[in-house]
Amino acid sequence: MNSATESAPETAQSKSRFTSELSQALRRNVQTYTILLALVVIWLIFFFSTNGTYLDPQNVSNLFRQMSVTGFLAAGMVLVIVTGNIDLSVGKLAGFVSVIVAYLQANVWYHYLPNQPILAAILSVTIGLLFGASFGSIQGYIIAYLRVPSFIVTLGGLWLFNGLVLLVTEGKTIPANQPGFSTIAQGYIPVAWGWIIGIAAIVFLFWNMFRARQNKRKHGFELQNIYVDLLTTGMIALIILIYIFSVNKYRGIQNPVLLLAITAGIMMYVSNNTRFGRYSYAIGGNRDAARLSGISIRGMIFKIFVLMGFLSGVAGVVLASYVGYGTIAAGTGYELDAIASCILGGTSTLGGVGTIPGAMIGALIIASLSTGLQMMNVAPAWQYVLKAIVLVLAVLADVYFKKNR
Amino acid sequence: MENDVILEFKDVTKEFPGVVALKEVSFQIRRGEIHGICGENGAGKSTLMKILSGVYPYGTFQGSVIYNGEELMLAQGAIRKASERGIAIVYQELTLVPTMSVGENVFLGREPVEHGVINWEKLYAETREILARYQLNISPDETVKALGVGRMQMVEIAKALSENATVLILDEPTSALSETEVEKLMDILKTLKSYGITCIYITHKLEELFRITDSVTVMRDGKVITTQPTQAFTLEKLVRFMVGREMKERFPKGNRTPGEVVFEVEDLHAVDPNEARRKVLNGVSFNVRSGEILGIAGLMGSGRTELVTTLFGEYGRIVQGKIRLRNKEIMPRSAREAIDAGLSLVPEDRKGMGLVLIQSILKNISLPNLNQFSSFLRIDADAELKASLQQAKSLAIKAPSLEVQTETLSGGNQQKVVISKWLLSNPQVLIMDDPTRGIDVGAKYEIYKLMNDLAEKGVAIIMISSELEEVLGMSDRVMVMSRGRSAATLPIAEADQERVMALATGLTS
Repeated sequence: MNSATESAPETAQSKSRFTSELSQALRRNVQTYTILLALVVIWLIFFFSTNGTYLDPQNVSNLFRQMSVTGFLAAGMVLVIVTGNIDLSVGKLAGFVSVIVAYLQANVWYHYLPNQPILAAILSVTIGLLFGASFGSIQGYIIAYLRVPSFIVTLGGLWLFNGLVLLVTEGKTIPANQPGFSTIAQGYIPVAWGWIIGIAAIVFLFWNMFRARQNKRKHGFELQNIYVDLLTTGMIALIILIYIFSVNKYRGIQNPVLLLAITAGIMMYVSNNTRFGRYSYAIGGNRDAARLSGISIRGMIFKIFVLMGFLSGVAGVVLASYVGYGTIAAGTGYELDAIASCILGGTSTLGGVGTIPGAMIGALIIASLSTGLQMMNVAPAWQYVLKAIVLVLAVLADVYFKKNR
Repeated sequence: MENDVILEFKDVTKEFPGVVALKEVSFQIRRGEIHGICGENGAGKSTLMKILSGVYPYGTFQGSVIYNGEELMLAQGAIRKASERGIAIVYQELTLVPTMSVGENVFLGREPVEHGVINWEKLYAETREILARYQLNISPDETVKALGVGRMQMVEIAKALSENATVLILDEPTSALSETEVEKLMDILKTLKSYGITCIYITHKLEELFRITDSVTVMRDGKVITTQPTQAFTLEKLVRFMVGREMKERFPKGNRTPGEVVFEVEDLHAVDPNEARRKVLNGVSFNVRSGEILGIAGLMGSGRTELVTTLFGEYGRIVQGKIRLRNKEIMPRSAREAIDAGLSLVPEDRKGMGLVLIQSILKNISLPNLNQFSSFLRIDADAELKASLQQAKSLAIKAPSLEVQTETLSGGNQQKVVISKWLLSNPQVLIMDDPTRGIDVGAKYEIYKLMNDLAEKGVAIIMISSELEEVLGMSDRVMVMSRGRSAATLPIAEADQERVMALATGLTS
């Protein structure tokens, strides 16, 4: 397209326009890029400290699986925090669901449905999810309609499940490693399918990008330089390719990771493209204006807590399958990991701001820190200290970059 | 009045990326005078004041500000330094902490401290003294949240004056005040002048300039057009300087014939939702016809805003009375129900109640209307964009794109966003509470024209306003409220300032 006789000033001009548009695009998403950068830095540090083992296929695979439980919780927590609420019960709720599910798997289906592992697994999952959603609706009702602050209600939930977990387990661990059930979190997508899914995702991303450009053109909007769009989409595609290449070298994409990817994708869609998402951000941005615009604040908050409860159920099921047991410590502290993931990812405690992809990267950061420190045999005490320092530094860097935009 | 200059701006220039906010602004303010500054939105008045008060510190602009003969060099984060030097500013946007008391707000950041502990007696005693000086009927213990917008502004002024200001800057001070309170403010300013305090009075209300100022500086597009003694101006001249063109009338003539009664309120009584014994509406009756503009006048506290927010289902608990829309009885118990019935409300507080400031123009316009372009699973972003673009165009919203945050818009443009969000919902009755508050002459005119257009299309418009001229200039009929009751509804021909005032103050019935 560039003729050989194109004059030098023109190429210089288009090059500088490209760089300026690129830097504009970067500045718009500076939050996401900053934490991505933080993630990469953390990976590199551990890579060099462990002589490369940190990023070998098996570890990468485990890393992603480990963050998946927190990931489900964080995916729901974003909208909770966006609307100006908090849910402290998610950790132990997930833990309790994992214990119930383990109990069913170990003691119930054994009697009523012998030799039907798949059916048993399906029933366990369904009951786990239903329980999560039901509890979410109870909390949602008290918070939205009875106007009790979410901090208090969900703290109550946390304490409640602390107790209930102990009651159900009677202090013992309950095995949950039956064949049908354990594939949920311990299974892998066959390598070939892994590639197919990866390629499909990349194709979808590019198709989406072109479609968005077409729409803008239809409305006479100025289009961003195509190279900038290609570059940003290309980077995401590259990341996906690297991930699949890496995990396929071990055993393939882990089931729970795929499940999380789908969940995160759905939540992203809901946040950006549905009225439900739009109303959530409006409520967080200005509750009064949202109300006067006809949004039912109570209805929305109720639904958000039901959703959070449901996702806690998902996390609980995955947890039981991953660990293979329902334990008395199941889920302890997970709510803080979920909240930290959201905030690392750019969700504001003041409400109205926050994204799902950011929260996912946040969850990855936290999991990367944990696995890295474990791999280096750092004592648990020091693990906490280091995680704390890194957490605060990461947010500091983010605030610094935002201020100097 | 002494002739020495207390404040001088010399070639002050301030640029932001993409826009020159101030261009070589130069003028002088004499000690002890009341100096008015007027100009359209975007003329640069607020920017100039932000330089004076330290929000934009020394080094972020070119040129110099000379205060008392010395160049004023305020450092970064030195907003308090400016007030310590005697330059105090009362903003249009209230900066009070709503959950704190009047006293706590007046002394916020300067609490009298003894041995490391706040001396509450001294704080409240001094607050009482200041309030008494201005005859403000507010108790220093009252929580600011419970005061109306008008009285909150009085607290702001008290706060500024309690810091012994030698230069007091007032940015649109009367936008939320009733006529009596404006009178009070004028008296206060005259008192301050007698003590030698210099006032800078920024306003869109040009008549006020003639009432109180000694000289006026007119700004347009970041430049000073002229600075002259007030007597040298006439209203037409002022407007011409401000706008740069002739403006024949302030209120455009409408071309409409009202039709049938569309909305009717019959003997409405309502109580405070938090305090069942307090009656906020004590018998309100009126009706509006399609294609008509009904103005609602009344003093602060007469219940106008309470009336419309109750009609919208968002405030009072109705204990008696009927509301009819197109002859069908309705009883909205939430904004949603009111909107579904066909009502729209442009609220008094556009930032606090009308907009989600951190979101874009596009998202704000579409918020109550998402049902129009979405199914359960999907918002049709194209339809949304198209509809919002159309609204933005027909209301001439000035912004680089629909994606900018509404926070960055001028007051006039913000108001246009609020109005367009309601127009998109095709209301049968459009209620507007003080729609042109804090908006410059040019943008006001555009909104008046818009109202006329809407009325011509058959929308019934209810307009509350504290500016009597606005009510008289735009309405077909005027309903006057007093103490929670509708005192009378007058056809425009029978309404004049004295009659309306008399009804509003309850002197006649």
